Amino acid sequence: MIGYIGGIHVLEIFPIILFFISFFGIITSRNIVKSIVCIILMQTAVILFWLGLGARISNLPPIFEYGTYIDDPSMIADPLPQALMLTAIIIGVAVTAINITVLNALFRKYKTVEWEPMQAQAFEDEKPEM
Amino acid sequence: MTTEILLIFWIITAIWIVLAKKTYRVMIFFGVFSLITSVIYLFLGAPDVAMAEAGISAFTTIFFIVCIEKYYSRGGGLKAEMETDAKPKNHFKVIPALLFTIGLCVLFVFFAPVQPEYIVNELRDQYLLMFMSDVGGFNAVTAIYLGYRVYDTLFEALLLVIAVVAVVHLSWFDQNKVSDGRHSEVEQSRMTKFAMRIICPVILLFGMYLVLNGHISAGGGFLGGLAFAGFVICRFLVLGVYDLPIEKAMKLEELVFINIIILPILAIFTGVIYIAWDARELFQNIYLIAMNALVGLKVAFGFFVLFYRYIAIERLPDEGEIDVVEFTDEGEDIR
Repeated sequence: MIGYIGGIHVLEIFPIILFFISFFGIITSRNIVKSIVCIILMQTAVILFWLGLGARISNLPPIFEYGTYIDDPSMIADPLPQALMLTAIIIGVAVTAINITVLNALFRKYKTVEWEPMQAQAFEDEKPEM
Repeated sequence: MTTEILLIFWIITAIWIVLAKKTYRVMIFFGVFSLITSVIYLFLGAPDVAMAEAGISAFTTIFFIVCIEKYYSRGGGLKAEMETDAKPKNHFKVIPALLFTIGLCVLFVFFAPVQPEYIVNELRDQYLLMFMSDVGGFNAVTAIYLGYRVYDTLFEALLLVIAVVAVVHLSWFDQNKVSDGRHSEVEQSRMTKFAMRIICPVILLFGMYLVLNGHISAGGGFLGGLAFAGFVICRFLVLGVYDLPIEKAMKLEELVFINIIILPILAIFTGVIYIAWDARELFQNIYLIAMNALVGLKVAFGFFVLFYRYIAIERLPDEGEIDVVEFTDEGEDIR
């Protein structure tokens, strides 16, 4: 169904590329909002990697009609990664909500959403007063 | 072939996100990215995950846009961002990071184990052959996360409770007491109100459909809960009043969480749904529907509380009071 690039399956190589793109975004972005979005991208890459492991052979969804007799289970997508990733998506949105809340508290304190001015202000605050 | 084209667009959208300079553009590209991700999941044979991704990404985008609109733009965050972008930037600073990332990626690909084309997966065969008689229902994904691996669902529910509590405790609370029945600042247009009034009951019906049919078709508790939370948001858009009590919602969420713990203990750990007697199918269906409804209610309450914390309660105070930050541990003034 889906081919290979350089000996590695397409559903493996694209999530790896996305993972490192988002890693690059995290270490180079100046805006904290963009960093949080890049964390979400990283999580999406991991989720697609897992789903791709279960959909190598066939992509028939694991949902059946009444009275279906399953002849060949290998022709159906693996339901276990799907169930795990369904849980991971909900946990991801919980983590994102906490991230946004912490960012709001930081913005309230430092009045900026950028890394560098915030760090500078934090270092100034930590200096002992002479 | 379609999946490969979609994957290429996926990567391109991600590169747009990483290279975008304005926060709004990041959010719009993120919406496009999530849409493509959802379609890819659907093509990989995972309709449940695709629907969850679509709903979740809509909520995340709403949270981000509300925060950007309500806080950062007023306090000068976006302005400051534009100013920094207007300055000439030293592009050579990025090159070491780029080289580092490319090196990591090449190392990862080089040392990745080569997977065989056909993976012998006995667990998948076991699940697919046995789930209809073991747990019941016709959806293998629901059977796994409510039957075989119900521990995962328990801890996921616990994590959502913890996230809601953390969000409520971490948000600011000097001006945050919601007086019941307060009207929102923004007046919605009449067209929005009219459209929402038609859509609202449909969303509620759709959520109930998803919950009740979660074990025989794509859907389930998470998606039904998201639809219920969407109903609450639409109701807010129609009425423009914050009249739903947030404390009761949090208490109800904790109550539903206790029920989520109790029901599998009664049903699975005592083995009621596994015993081969005549009424087993009935018990299985009751268990699956009740569990889906509980998970849906829990997700709905959690997202409702998050939505109210972000949209209704948290507001940036006026310019004079902006520098006052107080975190208290007393816990009385929080809500």
